[in-house]
Amino acid sequence: MSVEKQPKLTGKDQWQVLKRLLSYTAPHKASITIALVLLIMTITGGIVGPLIIQRFIDNYLTPLNFPEREVTAIVLLYIGIQLFMVVVSYFQLMRFQDIALKIIQQMRIDVFSKVHGLGMRYFDKTPAGSIVSRVTNDTESIKDMFVSVIVTFLQAVFMLIGVYIALFSLDVKLALISLLLLPLFLAIVVIYRRYSTDFYQDLRERLSQLNAKIAESLSGMGMIQAFRQEQRLEAEFDEINEKHFRAGMRNIKFDGILLSPAIDLLYTGAIIFVLGYFGFISLDSPVEVGILYAFTTLIGRLFQPVQQVMQRLSIFQQAIVSASRVFKLMDDNDMEPEQQIVKNAEIGDGKIEFRNVSFSYDGKADVLKNISFTANAGETVALVGHTGSGKSSIINLLMRFYEYERGDIFIDGVSLKEYPQEELRQKTGLVLQDPFMFYGDIESNIRLHNKEMTPEEVRGAAEFVRANDFIEKLPGKFSHRVTERGSTFSSGQRQLVAFARTIATNPKILVLDEATANIDTETEVAIQASLEKMRKGRTTIAIAHRLSTIQDAELILVLHKGEIVERGTHQELLSQKGLYHMMYELQNSTIEDVI
Amino acid sequence: MKVLLQLSWFFKQRKKQYALGIAALVLVSILQLLPPKIIGIIVDDITLGRLTAPGLTKWLIILGIAGILMYFARFYWRVMIFGSAVLLSRTMREKLFNHFTRMSPSFYQKRRVGDLMAHATNDINALQQTAGMGILTLVDSISTGGFVILTMAITINWKLTLIALIPLPFMIFLTSYYGRLLRKRFRFAQEAFSNLNDKTQESITGIKVIKTFGQQKEDIEDFTNLSTDVVGKNMRVARIDALFDPTITGIFAVSYILSFYFGTKYIIAEDMSIGDMVAFSTYLGLLVWPMLAFGFLFNIVERGNASYSRITELLSIAPEITDLPGAIDKRPEGDLHFDIEEFKFPSDEALALHNVHFSLKQGETMGIVGRTGSGKTAILKLLLREFEGYKGSIVYGGNPINQYKQQRLRESIGYVPQDHFLFSTTIAENIAFTNPKIAKEKIYEASRLAQIHDDILGFSEGYETIVGERGVSLSGGQQQRVSIARALIMEPELLILDDSLSAVDAKTEEAILEALKQYRTGETTIITSHRLSAIQHAHKIIVMHEGTIAEAGTHEELLAMDGKYKEMYELQQLEVMVEQGGEV
Ligand SMILES: Nc1ncnc2c1ncn2[C@@H]1O[C@H](COP(=O)(O)OP(=O)(O)OP(=O)(O)O)[C@@H](O)[C@H]1O
Ligand SMILES: Nc1ncnc2c1ncn2[C@@H]1O[C@H](COP(=O)(O)OP(=O)(O)OP(=O)(O)O)[C@@H](O)[C@H]1O
Ligand SMILES: [Mg+2]
Ligand SMILES: [Mg+2]
Repeated sequence: MSVEKQPKLTGKDQWQVLKRLLSYTAPHKASITIALVLLIMTITGGIVGPLIIQRFIDNYLTPLNFPEREVTAIVLLYIGIQLFMVVVSYFQLMRFQDIALKIIQQMRIDVFSKVHGLGMRYFDKTPAGSIVSRVTNDTESIKDMFVSVIVTFLQAVFMLIGVYIALFSLDVKLALISLLLLPLFLAIVVIYRRYSTDFYQDLRERLSQLNAKIAESLSGMGMIQAFRQEQRLEAEFDEINEKHFRAGMRNIKFDGILLSPAIDLLYTGAIIFVLGYFGFISLDSPVEVGILYAFTTLIGRLFQPVQQVMQRLSIFQQAIVSASRVFKLMDDNDMEPEQQIVKNAEIGDGKIEFRNVSFSYDGKADVLKNISFTANAGETVALVGHTGSGKSSIINLLMRFYEYERGDIFIDGVSLKEYPQEELRQKTGLVLQDPFMFYGDIESNIRLHNKEMTPEEVRGAAEFVRANDFIEKLPGKFSHRVTERGSTFSSGQRQLVAFARTIATNPKILVLDEATANIDTETEVAIQASLEKMRKGRTTIAIAHRLSTIQDAELILVLHKGEIVERGTHQELLSQKGLYHMMYELQNSTIEDVI
Repeated sequence: MKVLLQLSWFFKQRKKQYALGIAALVLVSILQLLPPKIIGIIVDDITLGRLTAPGLTKWLIILGIAGILMYFARFYWRVMIFGSAVLLSRTMREKLFNHFTRMSPSFYQKRRVGDLMAHATNDINALQQTAGMGILTLVDSISTGGFVILTMAITINWKLTLIALIPLPFMIFLTSYYGRLLRKRFRFAQEAFSNLNDKTQESITGIKVIKTFGQQKEDIEDFTNLSTDVVGKNMRVARIDALFDPTITGIFAVSYILSFYFGTKYIIAEDMSIGDMVAFSTYLGLLVWPMLAFGFLFNIVERGNASYSRITELLSIAPEITDLPGAIDKRPEGDLHFDIEEFKFPSDEALALHNVHFSLKQGETMGIVGRTGSGKTAILKLLLREFEGYKGSIVYGGNPINQYKQQRLRESIGYVPQDHFLFSTTIAENIAFTNPKIAKEKIYEASRLAQIHDDILGFSEGYETIVGERGVSLSGGQQQRVSIARALIMEPELLILDDSLSAVDAKTEEAILEALKQYRTGETTIITSHRLSAIQHAHKIIVMHEGTIAEAGTHEELLAMDGKYKEMYELQQLEVMVEQGGEV
């Protein structure tokens, strides 16, 4: 089981990631400005409220003197401010949600589009689960940052500034002293960040191990049960679960030591200090109790944002880690092979030519060596050879799933690299070795996203490959439900649907990779006949282990360890008495006592 | 609140921790009352000019001690309560996982992996929240709220307390109302997100198809639509979510105005001091959190409720296939009698199999042929006990297969499925799946039998090559042979090859069949295939047609019958003849 490591980020990396994240806010400048103005208003309201109460206590309550007009004014002011705050804070909260959701949507679309631009190489080495995490879960945890962290941090900064302004207006000396709290806060944050980064990453890593284990076990459950490995898997799972639990406990303890309890302790300390200060002054000279009241309240208000920031730190931390993973994917340069488009390059007849193509997946061992052949327009070329000899790899290159550097491939004399991608995709059709079915129904599986295809065309394609035989028997016919990966169909039925899907696009160049391996002979012969009828004007490249299915090909290439060792028509090859002859004999001699 | 009752088994189990944790929480909520009280006293003493240095020092020391006590109590309840919650999530996750391993294929056919994953992650998370934050907010809002209110009433002025509390019921009413709205909208948002997740999952696993058909643009469009839906549903949540804060601010403002209005009256009437008033308003501030907590509590518990019922619903699905009481604890071997009158797949209306009867002696090889969808795989799945609920019986080694312990039954069967699934680990670990500790030599031996040994040695990492998800970095035939080796390594009594040679060439096919013939002398083998060469020499061949046996016999007998088998054979030969005709 492959488990992804969380990237270790230095302070500088984190800063870079944060900057890049914030760059996503650029298109929302106007909206953000409004949101910030609303935020400042809310915060101001939050600070002015207690100040009014303080004024009330000092000016009217303490002397017990209530001039009606002034008191009414102050009360109305208070009510007005509170009402205003209620309304403004609602819109401020909404605005930030709106921005965050839009940013995340843009990010998701960007990542998803990027994923579609990546080459097969990337998908070979990256588990699907982790790509899915990048697109959905990681962006979700970034959303939390935009929704709650940024607001909280800004709020905290404004709040701190506001509270300090108020403190200074009340008592400069005490305010100066309470400035000392700032480095204390900072120290706690820094110490917390220092250690929590490690603890937190550890916890996240354990969690992703846990999820990877669940995901793979769920999709491979059939095998696990058939080979009765349930108990082993349970034991392995327990171990990961236990480690995750331990990491969780460690985090709770650590947060308990440094987070809110510590800040609360600091708060009590600050209160003791303020009381002591005023108390001891009052022993010598009178103090205004209103100020004392305001001070204790304001100190409380000072701690509120700090508490909230501390609580959001872990979200922030996770958002940065998630964002760095998302950006890593976005920066990946394992791109789909690029096209150097020559204007108007169009596939006409569909003549295919391979010229001295060599290819390697890993840059070490060549799986294709110096492949050259030509498939003339309208002809059928068959690839045969032992398993692992490189047949599917030839197709992988022709379909531009992988980039090749040595040699070149031409269609109608123009290099494959010079066609626009759409042109290639439109004119070539491939039936894959292992069929994939999408969740949905039969019709949507044949039509895919092509909205212009008529239901008749869908049915026609199904008839072409004789899939209608079984589809018509299904209760829902073409709208019969297809579950995940088509698990309720037989393998052959799945292959037929996948075949129909390709036929429906009516490609100029048809590529078949063991398209009938799991299909019975009768159906296969029928499909052959249909193909035969439609052969005119269509170039076909076919791979098959059942030689009978390809023997009327114009050209048969025999591959062996990545090289073309024999070529010719069926007759020519038989008379060469080589590998092909041997394979053919093997299949058609009434095999002697094999079993 | 139902969920708290439903979780009582867990709370009982963790009685001590919860009791101590709650005690610490209550202690904190009492100690919390000291600072405002002391502020009040000192303010009064200052106003009345009766403050003395020793008096002040005493109060400050008390405050300091309270602060330190609170620190430890706060740490302690976190470890106790949040710690228990983490334990709950571990326990539930384990239960769920173990449950998953007991579920039969029909369970998995009805559900999407993404959704099951969501239960194992989001729902368990919600439970953890319930057992942690839920308990915290419950206890805290009751105890802090209660103590604060009591202190206000007893030590300051009960009439003023009542007056200040007038708006609070509105708040509780409103927040719980929001909570209800939120729950529904939240569910929609969750669903939208999970659709997006499923969509992404499928696009990525089916990436090759999408690339082949050049449908990237359409797929991205589809994704964009789904993600717009996510935004919309989340905005609906936000519209309610954003109501909480302003509501609480507003209601507290009313409380403040009321208490100052009446407080002033009491002060004028000399029922109350200014210090009392200051303390009173500080206490009022302390009530904000318990009230907020009450609002949270509704949300957390609602989510916990929904999640718990989803999880219990899953857990209550009885495994369809279980060991009977007193099941035979013996590895079956011997003859096989397969007698099925009727069988339907659970999700299907049509019969998948009917009147399928055959017997197979120990050591014999049987071939199954037939058209696509004729029920070949269905027979094998019944043999493996992946599905039940058929009319008829399957007797293996003298007993019906459902009377054996499942483990023992499967010990005898080596299964190579039609859709091979390889795990994303090394080739060696894939082959040694049934016994990771098995000797290397055994792995090599099984690979040699499956004719894959040389291929593997040809890879730069040899047996340590990681095969990629589902085996993507191997060729089709290589994947098939690795899964054959995986079955052979357990030296099964009954070997089942379900069309497992479809992606290998004739030479390899022959070599594998030859190897099987040599190494498996006393054991039984069942092979399904579309290529007759793979089954021609079986002791017995059955021809399936539309879910029933159309013909049965040996190759020669079947040819003589002049039926479907002959037809098939001729079709395969015909092409050859055409060729050979051409050659002559
Ligand atoms: N995505 C990949 N990454 C790395 N190696 C690969 C990948 N796909 C195939 N290979 C290797 O390249 C070689 C040729 O594989 P290819 O799939 O072309 O064989 P094939 O002729 O189609 O065989 P089969 O008949 O079994 O399908 C094999 O050794 C295989 O292990
Ligand atoms: N899990 C399932 N749920 C419902 N129907 C199923 C399920 N599996 C198979 N079927 C249906 O039962 C019938 C028999 O399927 P089965 O897989 O046995 O065919 P098969 O003979 O193995 O075909 P193939 O040669 O294509 O492998 C088919 O019509 C298929 O659609
Ligand atoms: Mg292949
Ligand atoms: Mg089958």
